Amino acid sequence: MSKEVILEMRHVTKKFPGVIALNDVSIAVNKGEIMAVCGENGAGKSTLMKILSGSYTSAEYEGEIWINGEKINMANVHTAQENGIEMVYQELNMILTSSIAENLYVGHLPGKGQKVDWKRLYQGTEEVLEKLKLKVSPKVQAGYLNSGQLQMLAIMRAVIKNPRIIVLDEPTSSLTDNEVEILFGLMEELRRKGVAILFITHKLDEVFRMADRVAILRDGQMISVYDIENVDNESLIEGMVGRKLDKQFPKVKAEIGEEVLRVEHLTVPSPSVKGTNIVEDISFSLHKGEVLGFGGLVGAGRSEALGAVFGQLTKNVKKEVYIKGEKVEIKNPRQAKKSGIGFVTEERRLTGFIPTFSICNNLTICILDKISKASFLKKKEERGLSQGMFERMHVKAPSLDSKVVTLSGGNQQKVVLGKWLLANTDILFIDEPTKGIDVAAKAEIYTQICELAAQGVGIIMVSSDMQELVAMSDRVVILSNGHVTGEFENEEITQENILKAAIKEEARVE
Amino acid sequence: MKKSKTNILNMVLAQKEIGAVLPLVILMICVLVVNPAFYGSANIFDVLRTTAFAFFLAVPVTFLMASGGMDLSIGAVVSIGGVIVGQAMRAGLPIWLSILLAMFGGCIVGFVNGISIVKFRLPAFIITLATQYCVNGINSVWTNGKSITGLSDSFKNLGQYRLLGVVPIPILYALIFGIIGWIVLTQTKIGRAVLAVGGNRDAAYLAGINVTATQVAIYVITAAMAALTGVVYAARFGAVQTSIGSGIELTTIAAVIIGGTSMFGGVATMVGSLLGCLLVSTISNALVLMGISVYWQNLIFGLILIAALYIDRYRQKIINS
Repeated sequence: MSKEVILEMRHVTKKFPGVIALNDVSIAVNKGEIMAVCGENGAGKSTLMKILSGSYTSAEYEGEIWINGEKINMANVHTAQENGIEMVYQELNMILTSSIAENLYVGHLPGKGQKVDWKRLYQGTEEVLEKLKLKVSPKVQAGYLNSGQLQMLAIMRAVIKNPRIIVLDEPTSSLTDNEVEILFGLMEELRRKGVAILFITHKLDEVFRMADRVAILRDGQMISVYDIENVDNESLIEGMVGRKLDKQFPKVKAEIGEEVLRVEHLTVPSPSVKGTNIVEDISFSLHKGEVLGFGGLVGAGRSEALGAVFGQLTKNVKKEVYIKGEKVEIKNPRQAKKSGIGFVTEERRLTGFIPTFSICNNLTICILDKISKASFLKKKEERGLSQGMFERMHVKAPSLDSKVVTLSGGNQQKVVLGKWLLANTDILFIDEPTKGIDVAAKAEIYTQICELAAQGVGIIMVSSDMQELVAMSDRVVILSNGHVTGEFENEEITQENILKAAIKEEARVE
Repeated sequence: MKKSKTNILNMVLAQKEIGAVLPLVILMICVLVVNPAFYGSANIFDVLRTTAFAFFLAVPVTFLMASGGMDLSIGAVVSIGGVIVGQAMRAGLPIWLSILLAMFGGCIVGFVNGISIVKFRLPAFIITLATQYCVNGINSVWTNGKSITGLSDSFKNLGQYRLLGVVPIPILYALIFGIIGWIVLTQTKIGRAVLAVGGNRDAAYLAGINVTATQVAIYVITAAMAALTGVVYAARFGAVQTSIGSGIELTTIAAVIIGGTSMFGGVATMVGSLLGCLLVSTISNALVLMGISVYWQNLIFGLILIAALYIDRYRQKIINS
């Protein structure tokens, strides 16, 4: 096969406040080539995609994009499409109430002017469906398809535009084995036609099976690009993790005591795909003074597991929860709080604080019973407690009466954590404790976590930040596809072990 | 210099109650110029009585809006409150029991609203519009659309009595309810929970607040208070008119928003609601005194509401930046 470069990124650097998401990344993709892109959470894959898709305009980053030997000035997503780049995202952006056919051709329905040529639309769709071996009418609403079928449809939506470059973001994560085979067949067909495919995946067996070359991203840098014949499993994993821990972690190991929480047979149905489970019959336990890290790839079911234990998710959840050896029923967050569990959620803005409330009132939202007598608020006491927490957390704000929305992400997180500290729970779940916050605030959050553990609080910390997970955890449990695929303690907690377990495939249960 | 000016402006605009205070002051000055008769004590009491009736309802509606809720059936429930009390007394039931029945009737409507919206996630606008129609239908069928007259004097006194011979009794009711409402909203756990639910339902839920019970209770209490308002109306006019409450929901909601309670939930002020009601009744009164046709009322009123909405929007923006 002739090696003709179709897409080239030259010295692309994309900075966010405080973070370099992509650092001087150069990559060249040939015509008719499948290039796998690997990297752990936060390596820069999604930023790379957003640059290729035109979500970021050329003005928003440094470096150049060349397509077919021509420098492209990305003005918006249309520029990318006009130049033959099609993206297939993991999130299914389908209009579930429209027909399959309309979804497939959305934005370029066949026909003249305002008039849609329905015959051609349905015919074209039928051909596509046949290719996908889907026995369903083009007129059926997309909502009737399952997520694997929708994913296939999303891929075909890109394919029928005859792109020169197609970017697939973890396309197989919601597919059954049969669908994966169809997809791979399709990818091979595209390769023969000379289409370049950027194949973002965590599944190394897929890399070895499909890719011609593999690029490894880590911390926003292009670590290496290998021909597939010249690389093995071990060196891929090494390339993805080989990161040095820096010294921003004030980890102090607390004395680990008796078991405070045990969860058995936890099963959580998937919120998006009917009939499948995002967490499948897992069990774990937590001890006094322990920081238990929950590792795994984004979407492995970690947050859902915590949400289900806490009573945030309840529908068709199966679980047995024991607190200090005693079985408890937790049907809602109120009961969880009563049982001594607190939950700092990942989405601060959505579920963490009350935007219309001051810092003071947000801090005491979990302890309204404590600061009131016969329902009357003891405002002096409230202020005293808030003030204490405000100082303990080093919240940087004009005053206790400032609105939480006006604070920086780090200070918002301190308030959210502080409100649960005031609740004095024995068990604390923290989902992505330092997501989107600055370095100084990070250090303070870590200090608080260690202090809590020292006080005997048992902590479960979900983290996609590998360094954080390794440095802060006394023990880690790794989830992949809703199963526990690894558990490590002490010196076993290494980036390699975690990553290996995180990308381990468990058979998907249908 | 210019910057400090805008800062002062922003500070003024950030005050919740400004949407009601500003037009109220302007209006009062206009009236003073055009027709000083407005300031006669008889007229003042008239304005205050109208305000009292509006505020009566505005108290629970302030809680409703604070929790992020919406109820268009209030007016219909006001009507049915009157109808129930009238029919009950006609059937020979004692006054106190008739009033309780009226409130109970309101509770049922509120419960249907609350459960439908909170538990079954039906859109508040549509479901309360539907219950509005249902309740109005019941009113018409039950009374054949005719007024109920011949109410006893002791019942009428509940609405017509004047304290010391001057102050209309509804003003006292409104004052009591207003103070209770203010205390609950600002001084109790309940008020804090209501505001939290309106500010961020999910965060409140995860903080262990019983969101469902809070929201349903607000719908129930709002409807009960609406029915009670209908009772006082009946006493005040000495007769039950089946459509007495029609349209009252919008003026009340408008008065509350003008007063500074956020239509997005999470922010509420009882004092503002009082001012909003005062503004609404002053407008209708002043228009009459200024010799402007009542037909203008709706237009002017609508414009003020639009202005209030924009001020609310702007205020949110200041708070959030």
